[in-house]
Amino acid sequence: MPTVSMRRVVITGMGAISPLGVGAEALWQGLREGRSAIGPLRHPDAERLRVKIAAQVPASFDPAANIDERTLPMLDRTSEFALHAAREAITQSGLDFRQDGLGVRTAVVVGTGVGGETTQDEQSKRLYAENSPRAHPLTIVRLMTNASASQISIAWGLRGPTYAVASACASANHAIIQAAQMIRYGMADVAITGGTEACLTYGALRAWEAMRVLADDTCRPFSINRRGLVLGEGAGIFVLESLEHAQARGATILAELAGSGMTADATDIVMPSAEGSSAAMSQALADAGLAPQDVDYINAHGTGTLANDATETKAIRLAFGAHADRLAVSSTKSMHGHALGASGALELVAVVGALRDSVVPPTANLDQVDPACDLDYVPNVAREMPVRAALSNSFAFGGLNAVLALKRAP
Amino acid sequence: MTDTTQQQLFDIIAKQAKIDVAIIKPESTLKDLGIASLEAIELIFDIEEHFNITFPDQQGANFDSDTAQSLVDAVQKALDEKAAAGEGSK
Repeated sequence: MPTVSMRRVVITGMGAISPLGVGAEALWQGLREGRSAIGPLRHPDAERLRVKIAAQVPASFDPAANIDERTLPMLDRTSEFALHAAREAITQSGLDFRQDGLGVRTAVVVGTGVGGETTQDEQSKRLYAENSPRAHPLTIVRLMTNASASQISIAWGLRGPTYAVASACASANHAIIQAAQMIRYGMADVAITGGTEACLTYGALRAWEAMRVLADDTCRPFSINRRGLVLGEGAGIFVLESLEHAQARGATILAELAGSGMTADATDIVMPSAEGSSAAMSQALADAGLAPQDVDYINAHGTGTLANDATETKAIRLAFGAHADRLAVSSTKSMHGHALGASGALELVAVVGALRDSVVPPTANLDQVDPACDLDYVPNVAREMPVRAALSNSFAFGGLNAVLALKRAP
Repeated sequence: MTDTTQQQLFDIIAKQAKIDVAIIKPESTLKDLGIASLEAIELIFDIEEHFNITFPDQQGANFDSDTAQSLVDAVQKALDEKAAAGEGSK
């Protein structure tokens, strides 16, 4: 018998800035249409770089829209994304944090892989390349990893537990799980959570090139001709609430965040292990009170690297047994790219969309079946089908796995 | 007299794999030499730095089956291309 009563956690708002545009709806519409936002890299040093493609937030994104001019100079691109996505999510939720002391009962947990990389890169260039004797005075407040969480807290007067979570490509999922746990156990009634990343700097791109995991054509998850991942950027931010809090105020519930699983492979710093990730999926099912056959959809980690896609397929088979053949599995990274610490948050928009609209987004660019990837990956075209429950997988360098289990709104 | 490309390369491999250079044969695969994926990427970096060349992107380069000789060939190809490009610009 549990000694602490657990509260149910629901999603009542979502927002996104993504390569598919401004807004969660723009992201979801793009994904269900199977539209890829991968294109030629826009970067001042693009000529010098070997990496030629990326999934970038459109140049039309205006950071200054809706952010006051005294806050703007404090913000790295990661925080710009996060604040915009938070505003959309909070507006959708209809919450007013000034009422009834709600701000004190609200947590903020935002995942990011590296934090203010653009700021770091700009200031390093200033110091080392241009021999400037001084860094910009707002360098620290822009680049600190918790900047996005803190800016959200300040903008809406949120005084509950507030911090960043970093676990590379699983950052957003780990952050969302932390936020949900706080609501479950009564530490907060509401949480603003998700992930943000903007690290397409010259330095970071060179570092990724050197790892030799980037595709040079496009992102082709689960396809035998896949050539690696395509870097992306963006933010996804969600409003989580206890079910009772949402129901008491008559809020529109988008989905239930029913459970989660977190494990570490404890094997290799980059090579994934099917045992570690399948254990995280099994934990998420058990935590959500789901049997394998209750699940209709998995939003895969699906990076498009040789190692991930075959290992993830094996992991899904380990966790789901015979039901694996009845699952729809897709990698939306084929369209929004790999936004690293924000990827789980962009993918949660896809999962909420699938639960709400009964449409599973496809895996784009899947044109040649890989015998080592033998599940139903919903190739190239979205599928209308009822989705009762879904998992969302995020696996990180460092061998870290974080899986969300979602159910339709109760 | 400078070492041949092969000797230089085998020295780099031996250093990365922490093995005696005499163990390395042209037909040895990186796997035979105990070089795992991340070490192989480090090895590529060491080779590029040493010869001042850049290998083409090869996601999916197979470190299980690539041999020491195939690395020698790849280095020689990159060096020849560099030399040709250098002459072309004179």
